Formats: sequence, structure tokens, C-alpha cells
Amino acid sequence: MAATLKPYLNCVKETLTAAMCVQNFDSQVVERHNKPEVEVKSSKELLLTPVVISRNEKEKVLIESSVNSIRISIAVKQADEIEKILCHKFMRFMMQRAENFVVLRRKPVEGYDISFLVTNVHAEQMFKHKLVDFIIHFMEEIDKEINEMKLAVNSRARISAEEFLKNF
Amino acid sequence: MSEKHNFGIKPVTCHAVSGDKNGMALSLNDHEVKIYKKSGGKWQETETLDEHGQRVSGIDWAPKSNRIVTCGADRNAYVWTLQDGKWKPHLVILRINRAATCVQWSPQENKFAVGSSARLISVSYYEDEHNWWVSKHIKKPIRSTVTCLDWHPNNVLIAAGSTDFKARVFSGYIKEIESKPSSNSWGTKMTFATLMAEFSNGGGGWVHSVSFSPSGEKIAWVGHDSSVSVADSAQGNRLVVVKDSFLPFMGITWVTENSMVAAGYDCNPMLFTYNSGQGSLALVSKLDIPQEKAAGTISAMNRFKDLDKKASSGDTSAELKTQHQNTITQVSVFEGSKDKCKRIATAGVDGNIILWDLGSLERSIQALKIS
Amino acid sequence: MILLEYKNLIVQETLKDKIRNVVEGGKPDNVDITVADFDGVLFHMSNPDGNKSKIMVSVSLKFYKDLQEHGADDLIKREYGDFLVPAEPGYNVSVVFDLEKVPGDWEKRVEKAALLKRNCFASVFEKYFGYQEQGTEGNKRAVVHYRDDETMYVEAKKDRVTVIFSTTFKDMDDVIIGKVFMQEFKEGRRKYQQAPQVLFSHKEPPQELANTDARMGDNIGYITFVLFPRHTSASARDNTINLIHTLRDYLHYHIKCSKAYIHQRMRAKTSDFLKVLNRARPEVKDKEKKTITGKTFSRQN
Repeated sequence: MAATLKPYLNCVKETLTAAMCVQNFDSQVVERHNKPEVEVKSSKELLLTPVVISRNEKEKVLIESSVNSIRISIAVKQADEIEKILCHKFMRFMMQRAENFVVLRRKPVEGYDISFLVTNVHAEQMFKHKLVDFIIHFMEEIDKEINEMKLAVNSRARISAEEFLKNF
Repeated sequence: MSEKHNFGIKPVTCHAVSGDKNGMALSLNDHEVKIYKKSGGKWQETETLDEHGQRVSGIDWAPKSNRIVTCGADRNAYVWTLQDGKWKPHLVILRINRAATCVQWSPQENKFAVGSSARLISVSYYEDEHNWWVSKHIKKPIRSTVTCLDWHPNNVLIAAGSTDFKARVFSGYIKEIESKPSSNSWGTKMTFATLMAEFSNGGGGWVHSVSFSPSGEKIAWVGHDSSVSVADSAQGNRLVVVKDSFLPFMGITWVTENSMVAAGYDCNPMLFTYNSGQGSLALVSKLDIPQEKAAGTISAMNRFKDLDKKASSGDTSAELKTQHQNTITQVSVFEGSKDKCKRIATAGVDGNIILWDLGSLERSIQALKIS
Repeated sequence: MILLEYKNLIVQETLKDKIRNVVEGGKPDNVDITVADFDGVLFHMSNPDGNKSKIMVSVSLKFYKDLQEHGADDLIKREYGDFLVPAEPGYNVSVVFDLEKVPGDWEKRVEKAALLKRNCFASVFEKYFGYQEQGTEGNKRAVVHYRDDETMYVEAKKDRVTVIFSTTFKDMDDVIIGKVFMQEFKEGRRKYQQAPQVLFSHKEPPQELANTDARMGDNIGYITFVLFPRHTSASARDNTINLIHTLRDYLHYHIKCSKAYIHQRMRAKTSDFLKVLNRARPEVKDKEKKTITGKTFSRQN
């Protein structure tokens, strides 16, 4: 499993490095506006072709870029029901704290579990290469964390069931 | 080889240097323009020009007449003149209804051009009888935001790049203030707003920066498809494009009649050479050759501070190997002129302006030959 | 604490304190405490008619009527005998401790009072365990609506007693975590042969309850215990009742614990992610700071 993870993450990293080339760009449609073009989609020449990188059917990343912003949507591995709810809970928990995360989008793009929105403002306030590192770190950790949580629930279930049955 | 000047952690969005090289005007991604004066190798802030209502997007400093022109996202431009040691603003009505993106004085400094998100170029000149700057618009056939401009040395032609993937050459001839231009390699008929040439490099890249060669015969531009293109009007508008495995460039300027420096998201300025005889364009060398830095020691306090704030024990703060730690937004000739540039300046999102001495770089980097 | 207590600890401790106080020569004081227990059960400890020398313990079970059908009254009479009093209005069973003549075995009695809820439940089980022992078949299935939308069914066959709990999961996520737990209950039985067989069905009631008014739905689960004679024999009976009647609460308790643990982990991980994001922020270097006296100093870096 780990053997395919590395090239997957490398591919995402390189693509993000190339996609995260954004600049400040004032709206050419609405006066005095400056909005992420990837969200408002006001002029089609300012959008780039979206890219999907997928490791398998369930795990994939969608990268949509525009002149002043990029949107990264991640579908996390969910092998069974319990992973599904753990993932769902975790993503919801994080998205409720989106204001702390700055680059996190409050709602995921349809078909994905979590979305990040990096605008030129973020790219100006933070080091670009570190932002890419953050996304990669996130993808690495999220699988691990969900796995560990699942194990924790399972072992709790086992211990409590055994304890109960032992007493008969 | 290179001098690094830091102006804080905010991005340097645009900068301009005075004619005597002792003054610098720059904007740190906000509505203010800061004026710096060089003293003892350091830049001292002397004045803040606070007139724009929104982010400043372009600054140009006229070397001979010592005037500064600034434009911003608030759709205004100001011409600043030095009176009794203070910069005094003069509002220019550009008549645009979207943000201004870039500004440049013409070589003779009697007019300037402003690019705009309103999909037009505004050329402004001074009308003596009204004591007023008057603006004329170039609209057709621009279909998207004008991102960059450059004046031809003959004071008439303007090169403009746009997010509609095209680089164009227009006439900016103002019959009210100047005599009729003589014909040149780009054409003969030059009434205002005439489209002299239009280029597309075939790809789908937004044009980020455009530059006329010192003679005015060639234009070079960089696009978001990581390309560098040169169009040569002396060779019947022959187009040469080069793409390589680097990130897009944000700025380009000629440093001799055949060489240019481009820089952008790779945080590393690169020198390209155009050979008009062979019609070839090639990367010569990167200017920023990384040097291995000795790992510094961190104090115990910083170590724990990092642990607390970043969950790292110091080593993960791997910096980029280049001098600029973030995107370079603009490249300009700092000392010398386009046909014989001595030093160039690069401004970055990391808040640094780095001055590169081309002469000493040429001596120290083997592959670098500036022709 | 893995297993839940089947007696009410608050009732026990309070009574112990009050009575010990009197036994050691103290003055009886005012009592008026209402305590909630699982399954919507309420305990009320008070002085009847303001008489400080007496403490009355009353219990209210919403489903007492169901239990009465199965001889709850008799069992209560058997267990509590002489200190049983007519029930306080609004409650189902009341017992009284007279502080003026504290019996010698008062501690035992206090414990019994704390078991009021368990004993009410016990009546159903005892009755059906009895049926099985005698080998009588064809008795009506006992139905106890022990919570608003959750029901317990008890049925006796010649060779076994089946106890079925229906339980509602308020949160869809609980269903899935619940399934994980029930899976472990099934597996766990392999290790402990003496344990009863446990079955779990989700959405639809088990076969035994087919064609009854048993509820169906996405968030409804059924837990079936098959108790064999070795569980229902007189010697094992009390222990079995103790365990069985807390099962539903036990399950939900551990589901909630798991969720709390997951939440805690998410919180930790989220703050961890934030720290990693902080690495991207540039730091202001060599910033001069002023002390309150006006001296400047710069931070060591």
C-alpha cells in the first residue's frame, strides 16, 4: 500500500506547485470587486483546465486553478462504514473551524470530502512551498488518523464486549 | 554579485527606481506608496504617499523629469511631483470603470500609459491650457484584462499583454502634443489606437510581462504556460517560443539587444538569449546559483517556540535554496539601460528586493555569457 | 469503570450517611433529593410529612404498569417486606427508614433500597425464568416499554428464554458504531463459552417478533439474548438479571465514550494541522520592542 502512496503524493505535490501560481487580480466584470475567480467563474479565460489525480477509485484529488486562486478537493479513502463516518465527522469538525485554517473551504466540492481554497492573499501571506507541504502533510496524516481512530473504536468494542460476557 | 534588501514580510507588489538610483518607490501590497532613500547601503524610508483608496498596482518613476506616476485598484492614477522636499499628488482622471493594473511613462516622459481590468489601455498626456491630464483609450481588440505594458523607444508604440493570451503592439501617438512619427519596422500608419501587430504563442497562457528590446525591433513576453516568446519585426514578425520545465514567469526585461532576464514563480531570475540570425531563443543560465548553507544552531527558546507553534523541532523549516523565498513579481533595470544593463532589480512576494550585478555574475557563473 | 453499576450509588451513599449520622448519635436532618437513573427512572428521598425522623425512598418507573402485569408487586413485597409503605403520589414504590429505631442490618437494607430499580425489572425475568424451569410453554410474550420508543420482549421456551431489546439510535453514526460493538459481542462469545448467545439485527426485528407491532426503521436495532438453563438456574439467576437489564445502557454508554474519544483525537489532530500550517507563515525578524520604561531591546534569535 505504502508503495503506491509515495508516487501519488509526489504527483500531487508537483501539480500543486505548478498550480499554485496565483496573482492578485481585480475583477474585470464587477467594479471594485476582487474575488477568487475559481469560485465566481466570471470570465472563462481566467480559468485553467481542472486536473484530477487519482490513486484509485476512492482516493483522488481535484485541482482547479484560476488566475488568482486555486481549489483543491480531496476524496479520502473510506473502505467501510466506520471509516466513512469517521472521515465525515473529522472533516465536519475541521470545516467548522475553517476560520482558523484560513485555506480551508467551509463546504467540500461535490463528490469530495474536503476542499481547500488558496487565494492570492494566502500565497502572499505565506510561503508557497510551505502551503504545498501543508496539503501533502494533511493527506498523509488523514489516512493514518482515520485508521487509528477505527482501531481505537474496535478495541474498545472488543474489551467492553468481553468484559460483559465474562461476567456470566 | 547580489544585494538583498528586505522591506518586511509583506509582498513588494511593485517598485520603481529614481533616475539617480538613490530613490526607490514601492508598495507593500496595500494602498500606500513608500519612498525610500539610499543612505550608507541601506534604504531609509522617507515618505509615505497615501492617496490611493485601494491597493496600488503600478508605480513608475520618470528619471529625467523626476515625477512618479502611480495607479491602483481604486481606478485612479496620480502624478507626484517633488515640491519643497515633499511629494505632491495630482489626480489623473483615467475614465476607466475597473481597476488599473500597470503604468509606465513614455521614454520622453510627456505621457504615460495605464493598463486596466476594463479591457483597455488608457494613454494620458498633459494639456497645458487646462492644467489637466487628459486620457485617451485603446480598446480594440482587447478582450480581457491588460496585465502589462511597455513603451517603444520612439515614444509612440506601446506593447501590451493581456489575459486573453495575446501580446499586441498599439500606436500611442497623440497628435495634440507631438509631431508625426516616422515609419519603423512595425509599420507606417500610426494613428492613435492602431493595432500594429498581434501575437499569440499558440498556447493558452496569460501574458504576465512584455518588453521592447532596446532598439524597439523585438518584443519579448512571458506567459502563464511557462513560455518565453520573442517576436522580431525586423524579420517579418517572426515568432520564437521556448518552453521548459520551469514555473511561469512574472516579469521580463531586456538587458542587451539580444539578452533578457525573466523571473517568476521559480523565485530564480534566468537569462535568455535570442539569436536573430538563427532565429533561436534559449535559456543561458539561472542567475541564482544556490549555495549550501551551513545549518545554523537554534537557541533553546526558539526550539521550544517552534515546537509549540509549528510542532516542528527546527529542521522542518527547510527554506528554498534560492535567495527569494517566494514568487518574484517584477524585474526591472536598476542601473544602466536596456541595451547595456549593469544591474537588475527583482522584487518578490517575500518582501525582498534583490539587486543583481550582471557583470560580476557573468564572471562567476561559467555558463553565463551575456551577448 | 467498564461495567455499569446496577444499584444507584447516590441513593446508597446518601442513605448511608444519614443513617450512620443518627446511629452515631447525631441529629437527623432534612432530606429532599431527587436522583435520576437510566431509563428515565427517578428516585426521590424525602422526609414523609416533614417528619425528620423518617426517610422515605420512592422510585418512579414510567413502565411500572408493564412490570405489574408480571408480578412486580409481589416481588417488591417479598424483597422489602416490612419497610414498604404505600407509594408516594407520583411514584410507584416507596420504602421508609425509621431513624428512631434503626435495625441492626440497616446497611443491608440500604443496599436493597439502592437496588429498587433493578428489583422492579427483575420481576419479569424471574417470572419467565420460572416458566422455563417448569417447562411450561405457550405463555404470552412479555412486553415492557422501558423507554419512550424502546421496548424489551421476554419469552420463555422449554429449553431457553429469549430476551430481545429494541433500541433507537438518535444519531445515524451511532448505528454504525453500535454495529461494531455488536460484532464484538458475537465474536466475544467464542472466547467465553458460558456466555449467552447474542444476536444483533438492524432495521428489521428478528424472526421472533415478526408480525408484531415491533418498530422498523433505519435507526432501530434489535439485540437478542438467548439464555439457556445454566443462566436461568436459581443460583445464576440474580447475576444474569443484573447483567441483562443494564445491557442497553451499557451499549449506549460505550458508544458515547467512543465518540468522546474520537472527538478528543480530532481536536488534537486539528490543532496539530494548524501548527503545520503555521510553518508557512513568515516571522518578523529582529523586531525591536520597547519596555515600559522606554528602553529598547530586540529578541534573541
